[in-house]
Amino acid sequence: MRSVAINGNALAQWRKWAPLAVLLALCILISLFNSNFLTLGNFIRLLNSASIPLILGMGATFIILMGSIDLSVEGIVALTAVIASLLVANDITPYTIGLLAVPIAVITGGAMGLLNGMLHVKLRTPSFMTTLGVGFAGVGIAMAVLGGDTVRISDQTFRFLSLGRIGGIPMAVWIAAASVAIAYVIQERTRLGRWLYAIGTDEMTARHAGIPIERTRIVIFTVAGLFYGLGGVLSAAQFGQGHALISQGRLFTTITAVVVGGTALSGGVGSVLNSVIGVLIVVVLANGLVLMGIEPYVQQGVQGLLIITAVALALDRSRLDVVK
Amino acid sequence: MAAGKSYSPDLRLNRRAMLKGAAGATALAALGSTFPMPATAQETTWTLANSMRSVANPYHATFAKGGADFAKTIGAKYETLVTEGNSEKGIADIKALLQRTGGKLILNVDPNDSPDARVIVEEVKKAGGFVVTQWNKPDDLHPWDFDPNYVAHMSFDGVPTAEAIANALFAAFGGEGGIVALGGILSNVPAIERKLGLDNAIAKTNGKVKLLDFQPADWNEQKAFDITQAWITRFGDEVKGVFAANDGMGMGALEALRQNGLAGKVPVVGIDGIDAAVKAIEAGEFAGTVAWDPLWTGGMGLAIPYAHVTGKIDITKEPKEHREFYGTGIIVTKDTVANYKNNPPKTDFADLWGKSTGQIQCRS
Repeated sequence: MRSVAINGNALAQWRKWAPLAVLLALCILISLFNSNFLTLGNFIRLLNSASIPLILGMGATFIILMGSIDLSVEGIVALTAVIASLLVANDITPYTIGLLAVPIAVITGGAMGLLNGMLHVKLRTPSFMTTLGVGFAGVGIAMAVLGGDTVRISDQTFRFLSLGRIGGIPMAVWIAAASVAIAYVIQERTRLGRWLYAIGTDEMTARHAGIPIERTRIVIFTVAGLFYGLGGVLSAAQFGQGHALISQGRLFTTITAVVVGGTALSGGVGSVLNSVIGVLIVVVLANGLVLMGIEPYVQQGVQGLLIITAVALALDRSRLDVVK
Repeated sequence: MAAGKSYSPDLRLNRRAMLKGAAGATALAALGSTFPMPATAQETTWTLANSMRSVANPYHATFAKGGADFAKTIGAKYETLVTEGNSEKGIADIKALLQRTGGKLILNVDPNDSPDARVIVEEVKKAGGFVVTQWNKPDDLHPWDFDPNYVAHMSFDGVPTAEAIANALFAAFGGEGGIVALGGILSNVPAIERKLGLDNAIAKTNGKVKLLDFQPADWNEQKAFDITQAWITRFGDEVKGVFAANDGMGMGALEALRQNGLAGKVPVVGIDGIDAAVKAIEAGEFAGTVAWDPLWTGGMGLAIPYAHVTGKIDITKEPKEHREFYGTGIIVTKDTVANYKNNPPKTDFADLWGKSTGQIQCRS
């Protein structure tokens, strides 16, 4: 991972592996309490729970690497889930365009991301406020479209995206794996990937080096929107329904997963692979607390403590002058 | 757009212009609420309004419709106010509406939080309007202490309904075995009552039904999904049924079961009576739900005060069980679902207390 190439010392070497070590330690701890944890069935269930957070995490990682933040996750997921549910066979509209709804919903997500980027760059408003606003708008539109209703999906081909299995692995997991691969290629093999690290590390230097900052920001926000759109499609396929509150709680887990994986909120440090580990830590932790039979009253406290531990171990602060 | 040529001076100007605009808009809004709205053709001078959290959930959307339905029967002007989960906004909107209507307001409110009820009742009394509250109020706030303006408080008893729906779940798997239960936000009154009802039902089986695990999923479908997945790993086929304290979480649990090929094999129950749950009962995947009849609460919270202002009743002379009462929850199971769908609960606005099931008990 990139930060390591710059810091060759032992501490950085350890930091590189810290998130993975935390994940492994968690797995060992949980399996000591409950041997069912290490079964193939549970492994598949874990991946299934992780699939949507993984896809959302890919988009969010890019934004955070750039030093920005994206709070529109829930709004875009809700809107695209509702659009997808209304376009496939359902109990409210007469449309039955089947899998064609997938590209339409994903592109809608991209358009919302583009809107994020344009507003952020052209109006020079902080990404925090811009994306918060666009996110609210997304939930608002989804609410207005349905008027508080829930749309039920009857298209089984569409639901196959979540329920279907290939080689015993749920489709959603395959789709998440493909998303991670695409995100990794963008990060490692394209100019866009290199530029976003440059912008996140030091925007002024990047500007002097001739990197098109504005364009890169807009494109990255659009790419993130595409990922959220795909997340929306899978949410609809998973629950067989669409409503304005379908994405409740997604924003917090997404940002937590990215940061726990070792990507710094200040930008320039981290990787999409870190976020894969981060998502797995968050998902394994939630699963493990139930498996270990921890009292519900204590769970949130344990969760908070473990997240702080993971971040303290994983985050490379050596290049940060100040920690805010 | 102009950005990109000259940065900061331009920007500062824009911000200032925007602030001015925002100030102007606020002033306009304030003016708007001071002057009375132009009167529309109507048969009564009273304005009716329902206030609730949001219209994005099926329960409150139907609650709002119940109010509109009643307003139509008497030809009154009707408004819907939403708090969006914000107590200040909820109270400010009510104050504005009281001012606009000169106090000639009949309000049916589901307060965002219990303490809000006192402020709302005091404001309505001061302005000379009439109010009915739903679900949330402090235990020591009573309608008869604010005669005649605080007309009534309506709620649903979570304990017996949760107990009844838990029994429907036990019956669905033969009355013997382990169940898991999803609860709401731990500090919510309905969440506490529904858990109590479940515990009562389990205690009455004399050990035949065992609660394998209880987890709060905070009324959230996604959390319910993930927790149910973990339960399948932890308990496997020991789980004979899933109890969910509302239908939303029940749907999350059902989808987790479906992912593991267990939908229809492990019965689920919920509470609220949302459409999706009723359809799941028909499909044999849900064992039951409780329908709250929000069309009735939405309309009746206006009909009772309206009967008072038109002189049909004198609310100050009504007994306490007509001032603080529970409505009727309808248990829907596979045996009753066809009947429920064919004969949806009828609302007779003239029958003011027909669906009341007794005076409210304080359990806190």
